[in-house]
Amino acid sequence: MADASTDGDVPPEADADAEDDPGYWASLTVAEKGVVAFIGLFAALLVALLVTGGLGPAYFLYIVGLAGMYALLSFGLNAQWGFTGLINFSVAAFFGIGAYGAALMSGSTSPIAGGFNPMYGLVVALVAAAVLAVIIGIPTLRLRADYLAIASLGLAEVVRLVILNQREWTNGSAGVRGIPSFFEGWPVLSTFPEAMPGLEIVVIPGSPILLETSFWSALLNVALVLAFVGVSYFVLKRAHRSPWGRVLRTIRSDEDLARALGKNTYSFKMQSFVLGSLIMALAGVFYAHLNLFVSPGDLDPITTFYVWVAVILGGSGSNRGALFGGVLVVTIREGTRFLNELQVPVGISPVRFVELPIDPAPMRLLLIGVVIILVMRFRPQGVLPPQRELIWPSSVDESTPKTPKSGVRESKAGDTDE
Amino acid sequence: MPLLEYLANGLVFSSIIVLGSIGLSLIYSIAGFANFAHGDTMTVGAYAALVTFGTVGGLGGAVLGLPYGFFVALLVGLSAAVVVALVTERFVYKPLDVGSIGLLITSIGVAFVYRAVVQIRFGADFTRYGIQAVRPIEALVPYGIRVTVHDVAIVISAFVLVAGLHVLLQHTDLGRKMRAMADNPDLARVSGIRTNRIKLLAWVIGAGLAGAGGVFLGLFNQLAPRMGFNLLLLIFAAVILGGIGSVYGAMLGGFLIGMINQLTPILSDIRLLTDFGAYLPYVPDSVGITIGIEYANAIAFVIMVAVLLVRPNGIAGEAV
Repeated sequence: MADASTDGDVPPEADADAEDDPGYWASLTVAEKGVVAFIGLFAALLVALLVTGGLGPAYFLYIVGLAGMYALLSFGLNAQWGFTGLINFSVAAFFGIGAYGAALMSGSTSPIAGGFNPMYGLVVALVAAAVLAVIIGIPTLRLRADYLAIASLGLAEVVRLVILNQREWTNGSAGVRGIPSFFEGWPVLSTFPEAMPGLEIVVIPGSPILLETSFWSALLNVALVLAFVGVSYFVLKRAHRSPWGRVLRTIRSDEDLARALGKNTYSFKMQSFVLGSLIMALAGVFYAHLNLFVSPGDLDPITTFYVWVAVILGGSGSNRGALFGGVLVVTIREGTRFLNELQVPVGISPVRFVELPIDPAPMRLLLIGVVIILVMRFRPQGVLPPQRELIWPSSVDESTPKTPKSGVRESKAGDTDE
Repeated sequence: MPLLEYLANGLVFSSIIVLGSIGLSLIYSIAGFANFAHGDTMTVGAYAALVTFGTVGGLGGAVLGLPYGFFVALLVGLSAAVVVALVTERFVYKPLDVGSIGLLITSIGVAFVYRAVVQIRFGADFTRYGIQAVRPIEALVPYGIRVTVHDVAIVISAFVLVAGLHVLLQHTDLGRKMRAMADNPDLARVSGIRTNRIKLLAWVIGAGLAGAGGVFLGLFNQLAPRMGFNLLLLIFAAVILGGIGSVYGAMLGGFLIGMINQLTPILSDIRLLTDFGAYLPYVPDSVGITIGIEYANAIAFVIMVAVLLVRPNGIAGEAV
């Protein structure tokens, strides 16, 4: 996939510009420029909505938290599918194990433990996810790619059914409530939201923006997810560029080759599977403390496919693509929520406003399905396929002559192992 | 004796699974990818039959407790599934150039589109065909078997369809070409078989049987937009158990998976796992899993993974 992208998307002009003026904007590919412009417009829209009061600040931060969560899930899947080419359809299971690990340790209605500090929940959730990853990985990672997809989807359903039906451990379909915020029991942060004063910011006279306790606790959640996302991004970036990451990419493009080079591919696949699963579980832990309620519905296979859409849309193998895709999926998910609140003017005078007769749930499904089909049809490598991020910038030899205007990019970048 | 009842139910459920798994296996081997939209093709068939039955419902007399109108609806449901699948093949799968994994991922998108359209039109709730429910057949009740004439109709219709496919595959030129192509597409092509036509035929047969299976599933249980997707993994389990690419393997696999699924209640009588905590140190005695009816699907999935590990070519495929 990456091959097609590197020579397909970079028109000669882009390189020519980079040669004359090594400015940041000029060095971007067309797709990158589009994404930057899109993000700029989207941010402007959000700011406008915030200022005019169309979007409550606490809700806005909740969405940012969700976007961070999807970015984490996409990172996890990217470490499996993007790096190594493992078709893991059990994302929801690892997400659910993370969420349930955190909820069962810290939630007040937890039937087995409950009331522990959320840090213990985090540790337990990660350990449980690692164990589950090994249990699912042992039988499935030897399988052919399409069998792996089916088998992992089946095992994820087994996990969901166990969580749904083992009521004495998980409360079954009632779910677990009473989950504290992640910072419960921390020195300063546990009381931070209550301690902060309620602020009132007036940008437009008449519609002040209120910053209350819910805003400050949402701000803490965003800080938490940003920390998770930042750490995962850094770890994955290092891992991707390391010799270890290069073996994974070799396995993805040609497993027999990797084996011929003396690599134990099964062991490498298992490592990448566990690494990705841990990041997915981290997203689950965050979700439990964001939503403060978990139920078996969170393990529905649709969660898995949302994350797949994010990774495919962003560009398989690219971490910033995964980040972008995660944000986009949350926009689709949360944006469709407002569909049935849309008011459409009917008639001329007097004008009446009626609600569109749209049920958001199937619309969301339709949109996700159409996005999958369109991406696979028109841009199977994703919007932001991996490019420069694959190599150390310093490893590009500056003394080599710049590529001629008609030249191809990868000869300069030394990016031959993709 | 509940065992007989479970076996009878298993036979009915198996018929539906078999109809689904034959098509999935055919498409897997001839079109070359795992079609995740196959379950939702069944849903399309079921809802097309629902609409048709709503208009022609009271038509004429009745066979096996089913009005003639139902059989018209069955044909319409079958045809609707075929048309939808052919349109999808022509406008979605055919222009793609992404390999079998890309096609697999695309088929998930297709599945969502089918399900979303059904849900937008009919809502997410359960519905039923407007057919009067019938009492279990009196003659069998003393033996503990509670099956209705509708169940008998499902089994007979499925048998007729499967037998028809058998005749087509074994005794016609077209069938020979299909088997050749399932075996080795390249060899089939160089020996002069128009592989594109055979591929279309595989879609027609596969989607048609799936549509019929969906109609029967709606009669056996209820209709819901998720009905097909929920069945999809069971069908995959059946196909893998039987051996991908083998139509007869899919029949056998479908039969076994359907039977195992309906026989699960027997397992809850075996109290082996219910208190394994008692045998382990440091684990509370109450810890254990009762394998009840709620784990019927889970058992099929575990069998599927086990088959993939031990004998990836399935019971009817060649051993590795």
